[in-house]
Amino acid sequence: MSVGYQAVGWNRQKKLYDRTLALGVGLYLALFLAISAAVNPNATAETLVIRAFGTGALLLLHVVLAIGPLCRLDRRFLPLLYNRRHLGVTMFGLALVHGLFSLVQFHAFGDTHPLVSLFTANSRYDSLAWFPFQPLGFVALVILFLMAATSHDFWLANLGAPVWKALHMLVYVAYSLVVAHVVLGSLQAETCPLLTGLVGAGLVAIVALHLVAGWRERALDAEHAGDATDGFVDVCAVDDIEPERAKIVTLGGERVAVFRYDDKVSAVGNACRHQNGPLGEGRIIDGCITCPWHGYQYRPEDGCSPPPFTEKVPTYDVRVTRGRVLVRSEAHAPGTPVAPAQVHAMGSRDA
Amino acid sequence: MVHAFELYVAIGIAFAVAFVLRGANRIDPSARTGTWGFRVLIFPGAAALWPLLLVRWLRADSGTGSETP
Repeated sequence: MSVGYQAVGWNRQKKLYDRTLALGVGLYLALFLAISAAVNPNATAETLVIRAFGTGALLLLHVVLAIGPLCRLDRRFLPLLYNRRHLGVTMFGLALVHGLFSLVQFHAFGDTHPLVSLFTANSRYDSLAWFPFQPLGFVALVILFLMAATSHDFWLANLGAPVWKALHMLVYVAYSLVVAHVVLGSLQAETCPLLTGLVGAGLVAIVALHLVAGWRERALDAEHAGDATDGFVDVCAVDDIEPERAKIVTLGGERVAVFRYDDKVSAVGNACRHQNGPLGEGRIIDGCITCPWHGYQYRPEDGCSPPPFTEKVPTYDVRVTRGRVLVRSEAHAPGTPVAPAQVHAMGSRDA
Repeated sequence: MVHAFELYVAIGIAFAVAFVLRGANRIDPSARTGTWGFRVLIFPGAAALWPLLLVRWLRADSGTGSETP
């Protein structure tokens, strides 16, 4: 959170995540190199490295792209999301090794500057089947570099959320370029259709996951149509909200997270100030709403992060009447204190 | 074209050294207590985005812009 930037805010989960990631990547590279060397004894070491790191990056890129929709579909995938940026930076590292080895192997030993050679060695830009695939990979690598280089929270804070988000949405452009790079390269250089088939299957899986998750999100964004009284909208029964959890509703075009905790109900804006994580999919930990993505915390009573942190989210007026939760559809300014509604009034079972 | 790219990168690297040591502190108060590891991590981004950051730094020094957007 926004006090004194560190390189990495290490904790037990992040260490475990990174150890698992490093082990997985190391195992993949070792297995790929060993099997490829056995199957293709004539292949040079450089070629094997290019293929091992390229396919490793491709695999991780699919994992990175799948995590978002998987978490929307099933909360059990949330631990994968927690440190996704380290996955992304690792994926860029693998792609960089692939790119550098390729540049040296194919373009560094002629009279032409390697970068010029990259774009001019194959000039069949008018052919679909023989289109130069290496420049596509280079442009994708530049995008992945920009994403990795701006992955620290400093960049989110200083580029601003809209610019940072737009920059990181370029991952889909990079993915398209990578798919074209691999398919064209595979078709032009190899006779075995295995890699092309796997990339096609990966593309179908990524598109399908995004479509299914998007369909589920549409239902969430439907404006809540409960009865409105004095600007208050009946959003659900108290019992519809699990203790220490929230129900997400849409009011006035905005998603609102309605939390139940300690026999009280409070409502705040659903978007975490960090990376727009869904606060309503988090839970109350140590008295604070805790974002499921990266653990940013906010007090339910005023939407403020506990000191010394300074993030704030909007708050909403809440009532509980005859076991129903009513929320005013107009938000207060971020950080405005709002008294929580009591689920059970003093001396009675229902307020 | 290649020379222009190399010039951009060279200026970016020189700028990034100054930015991680002083500029980041000027445009973002939270960077003042940032660790050395943090400064190393933002170096590549500073080298790549130096024209944008130069403008932010100059604005922060002249007091005409907000410190964080």
